[in-house]
Amino acid sequence: MKTKEVVLTGNQAIARGFYEAGGLVAASYPGSPTVDIMESIKRNYDEIYSEFSTNEKVALEVAIGASFAGARAMASMKHVGVNIAADPLMTFTQTKINGGFLLVTGDDPGMSSSQNEQDNRIIGKFANMAILDPSNSQEAKDFTKIAFSLSEEYSTPFMLRITSRLCHSRSKVKLEKREERDITGFNGDLSDYCMVPPNTYKKQYVMKDRIEKLKQAAENMDINILEEGNNKDVLIITSGLVYNNLKELGLDISIYKLGMVYPLPIEKIKQLAKEYSKVIVIEEMMPFIENELKINGIDCEGKKYFSFTGELSTEDIEKGLFSAGVIDKLKYKENDEVKTVQRLPMFCSGCPHRPVFDILKKSRKKVIGDIGCYSLAALYPLEVLDTIISMGASIGILKGMTKALNMKDKGEPLVAVIGDGTFFHSGMPGMVNMLHQMEDGENMTIIILNNGTTAMTGGQHTASSGSYAEEDDMNVNMVKLINSMGFDRVKVVDQFKYKEAKNIINEEIKYPGLSIVITTRPCALKFKIKETHFYVDPKICIGCRSCVKTNCPPILMKEYEGFDKLKSSINSDMCVGCSVCAQVCPVGAIKRSE
Amino acid sequence: MINKNIILAGVGGQGLVLTTKLICEAALKAGYDVKSNDVIGLAQRGGRVWGSVRIGKKVYSPNIPPKSGDILLALEPLEGLRWSGILKEKAKVIINISKIPPAHVMAEKEKYPGDIEERLSKKYDVITINATDEGKLLGTPKVANTILVGIMAKYLDIPMDIWEEAIKENVPSKYIDTNMKAFKKGYDM
Repeated sequence: MKTKEVVLTGNQAIARGFYEAGGLVAASYPGSPTVDIMESIKRNYDEIYSEFSTNEKVALEVAIGASFAGARAMASMKHVGVNIAADPLMTFTQTKINGGFLLVTGDDPGMSSSQNEQDNRIIGKFANMAILDPSNSQEAKDFTKIAFSLSEEYSTPFMLRITSRLCHSRSKVKLEKREERDITGFNGDLSDYCMVPPNTYKKQYVMKDRIEKLKQAAENMDINILEEGNNKDVLIITSGLVYNNLKELGLDISIYKLGMVYPLPIEKIKQLAKEYSKVIVIEEMMPFIENELKINGIDCEGKKYFSFTGELSTEDIEKGLFSAGVIDKLKYKENDEVKTVQRLPMFCSGCPHRPVFDILKKSRKKVIGDIGCYSLAALYPLEVLDTIISMGASIGILKGMTKALNMKDKGEPLVAVIGDGTFFHSGMPGMVNMLHQMEDGENMTIIILNNGTTAMTGGQHTASSGSYAEEDDMNVNMVKLINSMGFDRVKVVDQFKYKEAKNIINEEIKYPGLSIVITTRPCALKFKIKETHFYVDPKICIGCRSCVKTNCPPILMKEYEGFDKLKSSINSDMCVGCSVCAQVCPVGAIKRSE
Repeated sequence: MINKNIILAGVGGQGLVLTTKLICEAALKAGYDVKSNDVIGLAQRGGRVWGSVRIGKKVYSPNIPPKSGDILLALEPLEGLRWSGILKEKAKVIINISKIPPAHVMAEKEKYPGDIEERLSKKYDVITINATDEGKLLGTPKVANTILVGIMAKYLDIPMDIWEEAIKENVPSKYIDTNMKAFKKGYDM
């Protein structure tokens, strides 16, 4: 039978690789660029138990448990997610591996959708894991499978580092059958799994030893590939998508392409380095491979010619090689520069965040932001948020800022906004912490934007999705939860009743203590609003632009025949009928169509 | 067929990812090597999104190198203009002329450019259609992109039956007929 060949994204290929490897349990927390690994498992592979856990730490722990029981297990997350999971990770990597274990990290060079650009190869090494770095979808699948067999053979947890470009890039993949595997169950020696002293003493040597063994194995590993050119002047060492961007140049040059970027085949590279007059490392972000080579006494260059930040495109690589003197002319011209109006992302038509941020903008108070679709409120034209750091950080920051200001008599009403996904992810400890030394006069308002989904990553469930979608298995009652934590001033608002919501939010901002406002409207993208659309009556419209300022996609000022002034208009194809614009209109010019 | 570099540009929510996938799968079925990029970023509507598909005998990078685009599929005119800098001279530019104003235009801080077709026609071979309106006539504006793909198909060496198969496998079953009509509408233009 002919092998079936399909086109898959890097994410889908990892899901397929896990399936073919006989993977049993996979867990994740949604975060771009790796969201579709778990989505793809859910869509395609019933044989696998998969979950979007409440955060990355829990996801990692679920995978650890399955691995302890002898199952091949995978946790996938975006690069900053590994920070959340770092606590169990750093200790887990000391244990004996029973079922093969893979952590997939989605790094984001260029930060297309992330709050920082951390290079997780550093964390992989820090945690004593071996790291694989695929260059296309076929390798994403193959390396996933290789990771499981090596993980078991060397009793080492593996990291698969993939970058955002590759996660979303499609390329050809040959499909193979799933390897059905039984599990051993958990029968381990407690000294291998209870990570307390003195058990941990010997584990330091175990970790050192297995990385040494993998280093030996790397010397002949067939995923580290040498391509010899005729030119013996330069050897390029690279990995991942950068390899393909380099190949695009069509140079007659020698390339050592690493499939495993930690530990490195140092002896092999030492030998190779003797054959060439110069070794150049091309890698995105930090000089990870370059530093490893230098630590081991191998003379090489890298970041001297290539940017420390962002992606390395074919033309960036060409320019770097030109400045290194490896090539003597540039093939690619610059793109034509096209100057035009910018386009920023905005809240969807009918988005339940819109009225809340319209109200907050009018309140002119400082607002501590968090991670979610509502981070957009930092952008033009809303520009309501004053800080955004990391998942769940708004609550702690609100408290610290309030305390410091009050201690020097500079207190002012402060607001924090946090979505339900972020609240369950890591906002809850901050909430409980709020109960420390609550003092009179600390004016804090926390608005929980409970839209029932992790909207920014495409609508995965959260712990409170069950209240909007019956098929979701989790249904934590947000109001009861907040009450049982010990907060008594809790207001629930329907933000599509604009005036009522505005009154409540402003009252709570005024209240000189801690108050919590919970909004109730679900995400407009996941739980579609299907109301009839609104239209503007130009005879009534006074052109005040109150509706335009809500920044809703269908609303635009336009010329009407017979009117001198511009009047508002609503594109009926885009309007979903949420009614917020009609409610902010001071003259009743916006009406619902029949 | 010699290598073709296709760039897609539009606004979040226009179905660019599905369109990219459709082209990739048709290319694979026709026996080519293929690599694509999708917009990498957030799920919200309204932001600028883009994708690329590279088709040929052997494709290394999914990224289109500078000034190497053969075809620009503009799901929205302003976004087409924005990405046109990557095109070769005389490249094909296929534009859905139905406009989606960005936030700065909505707020009257800037004007939506009125000379997009004119500017692009000076350098490239431009084909325009109001695919959104044409789609509505066929039953739903959702098939707008399929009309554009139909127009583009004339410039790619991929047989009609393969396009039909790829459409059947990639669109929701209740929209297969409308998409087929949309594809032919574009192809026969």
